[in-house]
Amino acid sequence: MLELKNIWVYYDKNPAVRDLSLTVNKGDFVTILGANGAGKSTTLNAICGVVKVKKGKGEIFFKGKKINGLRPPKIAAMGIIQVPEGRKLWPLLTVQENLKLGAYLQKDRQKMKQNMEKVLTLFPDLKDKLHAKGRMLSGGQQQMAAIARGLMADPEVLLFDEPSLGLSPLLRQHLAEIIKEISQHGTTIVLVEQNARLGLMLASYGYVIENGELKLQGKTSDLLKDENVKKAYLGV
Amino acid sequence: MPPAAIWMDGLIQSCIYMTMAFGMVLVFSILGILNWAHGQFYMFGGIVVYYAVAAAGIPFPISLLISAVAVGVLGMLVEKLIIERVNVPIYGPLYVGVATISLIFFFEGAASMLFGMQDKGLSMVYPGVLDLGVFSVSYQKIGVVIFTVIVMVAMYIVLNLTKIGLAIRAVSQEPVAANLYGISVKRISVIVMGIGCAMAAMAGSIMAPIYPVNPFMGRIPMIMSLLAIVIGGIGSLTGAIVGGLILGFLNSVIAYKISYFSEVVLFILVILILLVRPQGLFGASLK
Repeated sequence: MLELKNIWVYYDKNPAVRDLSLTVNKGDFVTILGANGAGKSTTLNAICGVVKVKKGKGEIFFKGKKINGLRPPKIAAMGIIQVPEGRKLWPLLTVQENLKLGAYLQKDRQKMKQNMEKVLTLFPDLKDKLHAKGRMLSGGQQQMAAIARGLMADPEVLLFDEPSLGLSPLLRQHLAEIIKEISQHGTTIVLVEQNARLGLMLASYGYVIENGELKLQGKTSDLLKDENVKKAYLGV
Repeated sequence: MPPAAIWMDGLIQSCIYMTMAFGMVLVFSILGILNWAHGQFYMFGGIVVYYAVAAAGIPFPISLLISAVAVGVLGMLVEKLIIERVNVPIYGPLYVGVATISLIFFFEGAASMLFGMQDKGLSMVYPGVLDLGVFSVSYQKIGVVIFTVIVMVAMYIVLNLTKIGLAIRAVSQEPVAANLYGISVKRISVIVMGIGCAMAAMAGSIMAPIYPVNPFMGRIPMIMSLLAIVIGGIGSLTGAIVGGLILGFLNSVIAYKISYFSEVVLFILVILILLVRPQGLFGASLK
């Protein structure tokens, strides 16, 4: 469904992503692992159109259509939604307004209301916080609200950028369960994580990126047994 | 204590500065730029209303709407054709600043060529005076105040209760997330520039029956609303309203007390306010 073909992304003259290819099929749960600065977030942002793929150096396809070169709102309208690093809630809007704007592209009001109910059953804690401003929430609540906002967009592919960052182990566990549940409902997921163990436990297929280059890929069950992965990312 | 008429005149000035400053802050909070040519959109508002009423005989309220829409569209074109192309982070803020400063002279020159430089006066649209015993106010001035209140309430409703208003606030708070959820920052920028310029035009239009209309009428209100923004705290809409109020009254009362050096005193006061509160009264952005 989503296919990156040999893409290169540059910041000024320095390549942040080199010759990266990656495939995500419908319903897949894929994780991208790597150290800080390996190019994981850049890859997600290239998919969303926030950063540009170098002209003539690679292409991104979604459902057979070329999407690199399109602007982010267009790509969002096609059903690719990112839950960005650092939550990026709208801090002075209420949680309810944040959720409503998550469904900005949803023209059908009835559908929007249904989605809101669905999302609130998935995140019951947010019910009491609907009228609180985004910035008043705790880190964990903000992350839940950010994911809820992503679901409000009714995405076909949901991209997560470091969702576990800054969360306590307990919250991380809760987060993992939520993401798992979203995947089980049929949403295609790409998860970028520094916490390699979390990524590998949740996803079914993994890509390991180093220095912007693809180093390793395979089923997560195999990656968990891989000696290099163990040494570099799992600290075993 | 200055007479009531002076306070009334201050209130009228407050109304212009508030409306102007509100539009400027709105544009600033989305595009991150000060539109130096904001006063010229005010001027176009006055000119459009003058011709609509005096030449075409269109009723004043409808002329006012026409002027807001026409100047709003002009503002959108300016955003799309000029500002969007020079308001690029790698260029820094200088280019777009120079571009909008150039527009001041372009618009004033164009207006002089097309409409002539002499003052044009629109006769009172709502003649008559409301006599309150202690003092009397013309209906025209009451109209200005009521209209300004309506515009402010309308803006409050749009920004807080409508989808597009929420989208505008979302862009001002976290543009990256807005883009990721399908709210096009580019599109919102064009819309907001349209709204901001339409507000300037409304201020200019509503003043046309009270003050003379000419190609240079936008300069003073522009400087005053800029001061209002700085006093109120740049980026704050509430600050723009409060700053506009303060400045209108200050200007009117000082001019009454000391006519020759009124501007000197006004600017000294503004500098004093800023020495005490450099970030302005509502310094932390409220958006």
